[in-house]
Amino acid sequence: MNAGLLQLGISVLGIAMMTGLCWLLFGHRDAALTDASQAVDEIAREVPGFRATRAALSRDARAALVEAGADVYLAVVRGDGVVTRKLAPGTAVTRDGDRLALSLQDFTLKRAALELDDAPYWEARLKRPAA
Amino acid sequence: MKPFDPVQLAIPAFIVLVIAEMIFARLTGRARFELKDTAASLVMGLGSTLIGGAFAFVFVGFALLIQPYALFHIGWSWGAVALCFVADDLKYYWWHRASHRIRWLWCDHVNHHSSRHYNLSTALRQPWLGVLALPGLLFNVPLVLMGFPLTMIAFVHGLNLVYQFWIHTEAIGRLPRWFEAVMNTPSHHRVHHATNARYLDANYAGVFIVWDRIFGTFAAEDETDKPRYGIVGNIASYNPLRIALHGWAGLAKDLAGARSPREFALYLFAPPGWSPDGSRDTSEAIKARWAQFRAVRAPAQ
Repeated sequence: MNAGLLQLGISVLGIAMMTGLCWLLFGHRDAALTDASQAVDEIAREVPGFRATRAALSRDARAALVEAGADVYLAVVRGDGVVTRKLAPGTAVTRDGDRLALSLQDFTLKRAALELDDAPYWEARLKRPAA
Repeated sequence: MKPFDPVQLAIPAFIVLVIAEMIFARLTGRARFELKDTAASLVMGLGSTLIGGAFAFVFVGFALLIQPYALFHIGWSWGAVALCFVADDLKYYWWHRASHRIRWLWCDHVNHHSSRHYNLSTALRQPWLGVLALPGLLFNVPLVLMGFPLTMIAFVHGLNLVYQFWIHTEAIGRLPRWFEAVMNTPSHHRVHHATNARYLDANYAGVFIVWDRIFGTFAAEDETDKPRYGIVGNIASYNPLRIALHGWAGLAKDLAGARSPREFALYLFAPPGWSPDGSRDTSEAIKARWAQFRAVRAPAQ
């Protein structure tokens, strides 16, 4: 048998074994944000001196919007952690009732959807042009 | 002569050790795994091997091109292999440092740092498009011009990569002081993979941490500031294709929007995070803000 094919076979089998074992040992669950302050804390870990002025958690606890002065940040649950983004002024946003849909110019985070009690505020906030 | 590749030989050991670390993590909680992250890292590793193999001719071709200009002709001997290993590790240090400080190279290397976890599977999360990081080729020139056989360079580099596998773990704490002083260790490399401001741009070593100590890039792991892994602006995808391409896609978009040859060049060669209007953060900007924040907070404590 071709040695290269054998190596490929071992590698593929190994990946299948390791992934299967990972599922068996750790399962698969996505994290959830406990409250909006957790999103603030996540951003504060990445942005020294970060001070939030307002924050809102989506109803499914999988995303949050955080305002810090002139800036707005997005926090979204990915796997067992949280990924954050500072939203560029004029980020494309549409609202349908309490549901906000964001379109980001981001190769790995193209869209985000949040259901928020104060959706009109955040829509207006995101549509506000840069200072 | 067909080069002997230690990495290929080590693959079964990698598999066994990843499995052992998973079981250790489950039993002790001293390491973390996440299904999609682990699967993505493993597929990245396989893709890197396959695509890297397909484009190996670029690296070999370049080396063959400059080999006739070698100053010496060094034959195979234990001493030559040892010397080549140390020289290759020094080369690795500078290549690695450049890969964090030059965006063109970072677009490739960022893949290895894109996991928010730090375990042995992270070691296998390797880029797919190294062939696009062309300036990286230049780092091989000194070794080839010194006259080391190409097969020896490939062999010692393989050994270097095999060494680096085991340091990608949270399961091992600090090792004896003499070892931590000379060798790259899990503790030193955790710092390298961390995004905490104090740890940015540190510990580029492959095998010998002494290079970081000599060239002023060493940072020790601080028990009070646990490393947070990943990249500044973590990716939000587990799709291997997106992981492999995200750095390049960002660069391509910036280059397409460059308004002058100077901007074009700086997008390629300036540190990651550089932008014409300063609206993005380089690691220096993050560290400066962190230092400022600490200074403001310190008197109050």
